[in-house]
Amino acid sequence: MNENEKLKKMIELKSDLISISAHQLRTSLSAMKWTFKMLIDKDVGDINPEQEGMLKKSLESSERMVKLVNEMISINHAEDISFKYNFDDIQIRALIEDVLLDFSEESYKKGVKLVFEKPKTKLSLVHIDDEKIRVVIQNLIENSIKYSEKGDKVFISNNQKDNFIEISVKDTGIGIPQNDQEKIFGKFFRASNAKKKEQVGSGLGLYTIKGIVEKHGGKIWFKSNNKGTTFYFTVPLSK
Amino acid sequence: MAKKILIIEDDTFLQGLASRKLGVEGYEVEVASDSKQAFNNLNKQIPDLILLDLLLPDVDGFEILKEIRENVKWKSVPIIVFSNLSEEGDITKAKALGVTEFMVKANFTLDELAEKIKLLLKK
Repeated sequence: MNENEKLKKMIELKSDLISISAHQLRTSLSAMKWTFKMLIDKDVGDINPEQEGMLKKSLESSERMVKLVNEMISINHAEDISFKYNFDDIQIRALIEDVLLDFSEESYKKGVKLVFEKPKTKLSLVHIDDEKIRVVIQNLIENSIKYSEKGDKVFISNNQKDNFIEISVKDTGIGIPQNDQEKIFGKFFRASNAKKKEQVGSGLGLYTIKGIVEKHGGKIWFKSNNKGTTFYFTVPLSK
Repeated sequence: MAKKILIIEDDTFLQGLASRKLGVEGYEVEVASDSKQAFNNLNKQIPDLILLDLLLPDVDGFEILKEIRENVKWKSVPIIVFSNLSEEGDITKAKALGVTEFMVKANFTLDELAEKIKLLLKK
């Protein structure tokens, strides 16, 4: 076995280990979540207000853990597939519309409006691995929704420039503090105000998608102030 | 008359919780911990809905799903796969075999499950 094969084997092993632990964690967390909720709903008998308060905190806490495990699974999956790239010539607009559809329920629940600013002319095809670029768009939209408030709008656009297409996701959320801006794409890094707003997050999302965009020969960057953030990334046109 | 639900789940604690909650909601609940018990039960009476876990001690849930869908007696019974597996491949496979709903256990509480069952049985 050469070094490359050994490395591949190790990554597979790591990935399997994460899948197995995630499944076990989810099983234990299901037991806790279900129990807390049944006790709160008084399915098993009366409880006093103090007990109810404690159980509600426990339920919230187990739900945060579930979110974290789900995030771990999705990052593991993104890392897993990051070794196999299948490039194809596709229409980016269709992919964006598809991702937006996936988020329609979540954005509706949160009261955040997703606005796709479609280009006036038909754009050229791009040369990408659509499963990977889907992860990038999903991650940026998910962050925008997470850090927006009810009634806010998130704008998604795509524009052709020279030999690439630039995609942007603009929110009017909490912004990225000046001090944190340099580190935002770092592994495990989370901005100070993001931690305050959303207690759960691995700090791996932007790190992972930067790797994906760069593997396509594209760039990812952002502009941010306290009125919101716009993320941009580019993907190459097909030749 | 109370609607009948068959829960196929090998984790006895989770099985007990689901059975209790659905009982509180007014359903008549039967439980099975493996495929043998499941088919014994199905042969005795046809439930109105089946809740199916995927990782079971004897055969996996996909096999059970396939067998149910191939049998003319049971093929129209709604089946919710209720599992903590959530890989794209698992979901696609379950859909191809004719599952009605695919729910990840940890993402729901049992009252949300009961709500989903109520909707499916109304159809």
